[in-house]
Amino acid sequence: MRVKLLYSTDLKAIERALEAKGAHLDTDVLMDHVVYMFEIEDCSRVTTHQLVRHRVASYDQESQRFSAATKEGVVTPPSISANEAALDAYEDGLKAVYSAYEKMVAAGVPKEDARYILPTAIKTKLVMTVSARSLMHIVWQRTALQAQWEIRELAAQLHGLARGATPELWGEIVER
Amino acid sequence: MKASLIWSSPRPEMTIAVAMRRCYSTKTIEEIEVELEKKGPEYWRFLLTKCLQDKSLDVLEHFTMSLLLEGMAEPEMSAVLRRFQFIRAADLGGSGWLVSVNARTLVELWRDRGGRPLAEPIVAELRRQNVSPLFNDLAFGEGAVAG
Repeated sequence: MRVKLLYSTDLKAIERALEAKGAHLDTDVLMDHVVYMFEIEDCSRVTTHQLVRHRVASYDQESQRFSAATKEGVVTPPSISANEAALDAYEDGLKAVYSAYEKMVAAGVPKEDARYILPTAIKTKLVMTVSARSLMHIVWQRTALQAQWEIRELAAQLHGLARGATPELWGEIVER
Repeated sequence: MKASLIWSSPRPEMTIAVAMRRCYSTKTIEEIEVELEKKGPEYWRFLLTKCLQDKSLDVLEHFTMSLLLEGMAEPEMSAVLRRFQFIRAADLGGSGWLVSVNARTLVELWRDRGGRPLAEPIVAELRRQNVSPLFNDLAFGEGAVAG
């Protein structure tokens, strides 16, 4: 998985503008005015299905309607890769699914229909723009021990990048 | 009413174009940016026109900005905030408002009779600062693309 911060609001510029006006806003208010745009690549669709449930954010994701799927582009959970019998079953299943996908596309089925058979393990790419307030909620919920390993990894990376860009806003927020 | 831009997303038109291409490309963002640079502004114009025409305004949400706004009374601002839930406005007392908005909401404000008075000073400021000339022209210019 690769997560990159494409930009974040210049909080210092906002603070300077407020200071010039003789105004002050608490961190709690400024959280609504700071946004981050992230690029997220090579996480599974399992995880992006969980991510986009956080509705107060903007997402644009690679569409399977138009791009062809390849069996190299899948995420394998550690619980499967560490278990030989499970890994064999996983790889056999993927082989069968991708073979059926390729046969359907070769037979003239549009990619948008052939994709119905594809696994949610498939790797995907997306951009996400989110306010500091929404991101804090995501980090709080998705770094919890009850959250799944892959979205925990994603939330931790989002947190690290946001904290690095605007440490003033993240002082009291800790991962669970 | 007067708006003063504090900050806006860097390279807003490239950002919108990247978000549009993200949906249809298997490439990385870096590769998409190279592709967009190679294709040039005419291609960006094509993408932005398509997004405004097709009402695919979601990609505009990645272009965001924060401004100081003077001359808007609290009741007027409250009325706008009730209808346009993605605007963020903090009251600075007698000094005006800190307003943060994305380009999608700005287009929706511009196209709405009740929202237009707030959109106009923001668009004027974007033009004055030459922040996003192509987007300004297509979304708010005389021949603006109808949605």
